[in-house]
Amino acid sequence: MSTPYYVPEESIPLPPVDAEVISTACDYCIVACGYKVYRWPVRGGKRGGPAASENAFGEDFPVSPLGAWVAPTQHNIVLHNGEPHHVVIIPDKDTEYVNPLGNSSIRGGAIAQKVYNPQSPTRDRLKSPMVRMFGVLMPVTWDFALDIAAEVGRHVLDKHGTNAYGVKTFSYGYMENTYAITKYALRHVRTANFTFHDTPSDVTSTPGFRDAGFDNFGPSYEDWRDADVLLMCGTDPYESKTILFTDWIMPGIQNGQKAIFLLPRSTAGVAYAEKNGGMLIDIQPGTDLPVVLAIARVIVENGWEDSEWIKDWVNSKWESSSGFGQGTRNTPWQWRTTWGKFQTNGFDDWKEWLLAQEYSVPEKAAEIAQIDVQKIYTAAEWMAKPKADGSRPKTSIMIEKGFYWSNNTGNTNAISALGIICGCGGRPGQVIGRAGGHQRGGLRGGGYPRNKSPEKLPGRRRRAMDTDRYLMSGHTRLAHVIGTTWVQAMCGSQSLQSKFDELTTRNPHQVTSFDKNDIIDTLKKRADSGGMVVWNQDIYLVDPIGARYADIVFPASGWGEETFTRANGERRIRLYPKFYDAPGESKPDWWIIAQLAKKMGFSGFEWKNSNEVLEEGARHSRGSRKDFNMVKVAAHREGKTLHEKLGEFGTNGIQGPVLMLADGTLEETKRLHDVNRVLPDDGPVGGTVFNKKLTHFNSQTGKCNLQKAPWDLFSSYWEWLKPREGEVWITSGRINERWQSGYDDRRRPYIVQRWPENWIELHPDTAAKFGIESGDYVQVFSDRIPVQKDTIVGVEGDDFDFASLLKNGHIELTRASITAVAIVTPALKENIGYMDFLHTSQPANALAGRVVDWISGNYNYKMGVGQVRKMGESPYKNQFRSMSFARRDIA
Amino acid sequence: MTADPKIIAAVNGANGEAKAAGTRNCLMNRRQFLLTGGIATTVVMVGIPGMAEAQTPAAVSTYPRKLIGKLSELKVDEPFDFEYPDEGAYAESILVKLGQRAGGGIGPDEDIVAFNYTCTHQGGPLQGTYQAADKALGPCPLHLTTFDLTRHGIFISGQAYQSLPQVLLEVEGDDIYAVGMFGLIYGRFDNLQG
Repeated sequence: MSTPYYVPEESIPLPPVDAEVISTACDYCIVACGYKVYRWPVRGGKRGGPAASENAFGEDFPVSPLGAWVAPTQHNIVLHNGEPHHVVIIPDKDTEYVNPLGNSSIRGGAIAQKVYNPQSPTRDRLKSPMVRMFGVLMPVTWDFALDIAAEVGRHVLDKHGTNAYGVKTFSYGYMENTYAITKYALRHVRTANFTFHDTPSDVTSTPGFRDAGFDNFGPSYEDWRDADVLLMCGTDPYESKTILFTDWIMPGIQNGQKAIFLLPRSTAGVAYAEKNGGMLIDIQPGTDLPVVLAIARVIVENGWEDSEWIKDWVNSKWESSSGFGQGTRNTPWQWRTTWGKFQTNGFDDWKEWLLAQEYSVPEKAAEIAQIDVQKIYTAAEWMAKPKADGSRPKTSIMIEKGFYWSNNTGNTNAISALGIICGCGGRPGQVIGRAGGHQRGGLRGGGYPRNKSPEKLPGRRRRAMDTDRYLMSGHTRLAHVIGTTWVQAMCGSQSLQSKFDELTTRNPHQVTSFDKNDIIDTLKKRADSGGMVVWNQDIYLVDPIGARYADIVFPASGWGEETFTRANGERRIRLYPKFYDAPGESKPDWWIIAQLAKKMGFSGFEWKNSNEVLEEGARHSRGSRKDFNMVKVAAHREGKTLHEKLGEFGTNGIQGPVLMLADGTLEETKRLHDVNRVLPDDGPVGGTVFNKKLTHFNSQTGKCNLQKAPWDLFSSYWEWLKPREGEVWITSGRINERWQSGYDDRRRPYIVQRWPENWIELHPDTAAKFGIESGDYVQVFSDRIPVQKDTIVGVEGDDFDFASLLKNGHIELTRASITAVAIVTPALKENIGYMDFLHTSQPANALAGRVVDWISGNYNYKMGVGQVRKMGESPYKNQFRSMSFARRDIA
Repeated sequence: MTADPKIIAAVNGANGEAKAAGTRNCLMNRRQFLLTGGIATTVVMVGIPGMAEAQTPAAVSTYPRKLIGKLSELKVDEPFDFEYPDEGAYAESILVKLGQRAGGGIGPDEDIVAFNYTCTHQGGPLQGTYQAADKALGPCPLHLTTFDLTRHGIFISGQAYQSLPQVLLEVEGDDIYAVGMFGLIYGRFDNLQG
């Protein structure tokens, strides 16, 4: 942009009556609101008029509230078939689901700003493949870049083995792409050095849900609305999945729903709930577990549990012992309970355990969490106390990352148990699940080769590789990074970055030639010398993974630039059609992977378009929560492609799993674990799969497992980590206005004006201690960021417990420091600093301990600690253009 | 602090018509006013009384100059409503003396500002939502967006696609005039055409 200041427009072009209309869905959060793209040529200067008969909306301007208004941020100009076209992109005013009032968040609402336009800050989209020569990334042809990648990749596999080829990829970037990527990495390369953007290991995100038998995304959006009581843990949906709050939960609250938040921080959704009879349980970071168990304890001590539900749907001793209710196979959910740490013999056994734990006593839990103990009693009463007429409140539980990335295994075990005794699961308004982060665009084209992972835990357990630790140990010789920052998205990110430096830029083997063979030889030598080469696929050049480390950059195309498919947080599958030309030579990830795979000698990558990829992948969705295989069958019967058929569903999409009935019609799935659903007597038709979770839970018996949730598996870490003199908790999360790393938002002048850099919220009392005011620049730093090192073979039961790791020298204390702009606000609990989770230049994750949850293998990203020091005043303190220091929870 | 010459060029046009009309300074100030608000200590905009409409360039002259209040009658945190730039849909606006310096603020304390009342997300009415403690408007009854009136109406939290349109003010003696807008009013495709 020519100016650092956003200058708003005072008029916009309206789409003319004959503008083309393309239905799509938002690219950002899990909710995936329906949108319409209005497209018309620039040539001819055509504009719609303010009368209903003169514009494509058929509306008179000015439009009414909730109408088809076009904000200046909703218009752009793109190339379509090589010709400049206007596009106006606004939420679909006609859609029946997801955002049925045509509403949108600030993220999706301004999605027109996302599309490539060289006159906008999107001008730095990657447009050519590039190879680093003489230290500089130089544009080259696809063949030149792919030949090098294939030759060096082949060499690494042949000489150093498959695990030396690391693949770190987004999990959500549309099913066509994830299918191609996983087919390549897992079915053909067959590397165990593979994981997704948000975890060091390819493991389940919510182990407690998995073991209890809950699918993460079982509920439908109307279930969240229809609950009488809704407990939301570790998220304010208003801040990060807006429409789920404004269009589903808010109407619920207006209808008398009691909303409870379990969070250290108040935001607009929390404030709204509190003003309307809800409650915030303002815990300090990492203390969810004792509070959740204390609520459960109050419930069972009063006999308020849902006995009938428990009788029908909880595994007994014998059922549970049939392989922890999960079958007797050699699988993660069985290993997790090797020493009986989690398994119970049913409700009575679980209750006995619960009552024996000191930390489940409300007063003790309140002390650990530093909350008013009355809130525990109130929550228990709201969630489970039968009404005067004997009927039970309809209670639902929603969790998200603030919760499951604080104490991954423990928290998810505890909340599952609380959910089960409250009768959450599979009934209207009585559900339990994740709220969701990104959309669900994963489709597995290969199985993870767990037997190749070096992670050997006590007992028989082999867990997916911790790819960060593997890289830190120097085993990764080729890092193929697709659509993620990797470094800043992981914990203890600054020490991780040092290792990347050492393996790449500080390795003596640097390319100082333009000759393809020389380049190949140099990169092979680097890999052979113990260094690492890096391929990076992305839409923008990311610092440092692309800008500093990548030897080869592949420019990817994305939303609107190729036809893709993806599901949302209620399993609604939609088509995202191509509506404009991708910039330069950029290509969809499936295409890039296919060309590379072919050059590496793999077969099965001969797709001509994205529809062919999805049609091949469709059968791999069978039985999954977004099973759409029968949509393909229906499409082919009608002589259509799968994409054509999905396109017919428009913004309404089709809710998976999709079944085909005997008459050939398709049946959607409103919610999983739907115990009231009656499936056809005559069984599944053709390729249809009746997965158990349609009508039961994910366990051997189809019933739920009530699990113990021991605090002491986590407390050694928590006790060691918690702030010492002069320190505060450093935790982080999403902020409504920025999506992921801000790759789009930092190219939106208005959002940049609001959030020019990372910030840290501090309570006034905490800020006063450090002499900090709103608008001050602060340094956030620590010299005791724990980093787990070494791949060890676990023998004893507690070998991986933090205290043992520390004692045995497997924890290294590292230093980190980032800067931020202070925001002093009473909306945050004392003694905490809260930051945006992923500013690439000021990454809050630098302060989070790089120690995996030792049961699951996930990071507990929200657990960080550090000191705060004032550096001086930021430019935002005393001028009025940028930022705002007002509290975010005005009600 | 001077405004970016490119912005000035964009506002004035490159053909010199603004200069010919004798309104260059005024035009520059209209945007510069907001861009520099709070830094400059004596931004008092000069109107163009007597200037025939046809002689002034479209970008600004079409905004009417409207007397909306008197400095002497404003009290801190007691908002005053008016309509601008016309009496049509969504013209209702707030004039308020915040009691603290604000971007684009006028008056001796640079604390008098004016904004359109319609939420720039989905058109929710913000009338009656002035928050004295936070110098904010909102939360919007529709989707809870809040706006910071000390910072040119930038959103504090919420879903609005842009800042609340700020009404540009001038002071002449004790009189406060509305003279322009900064940002598109909800529901309209053009602030002046509806």
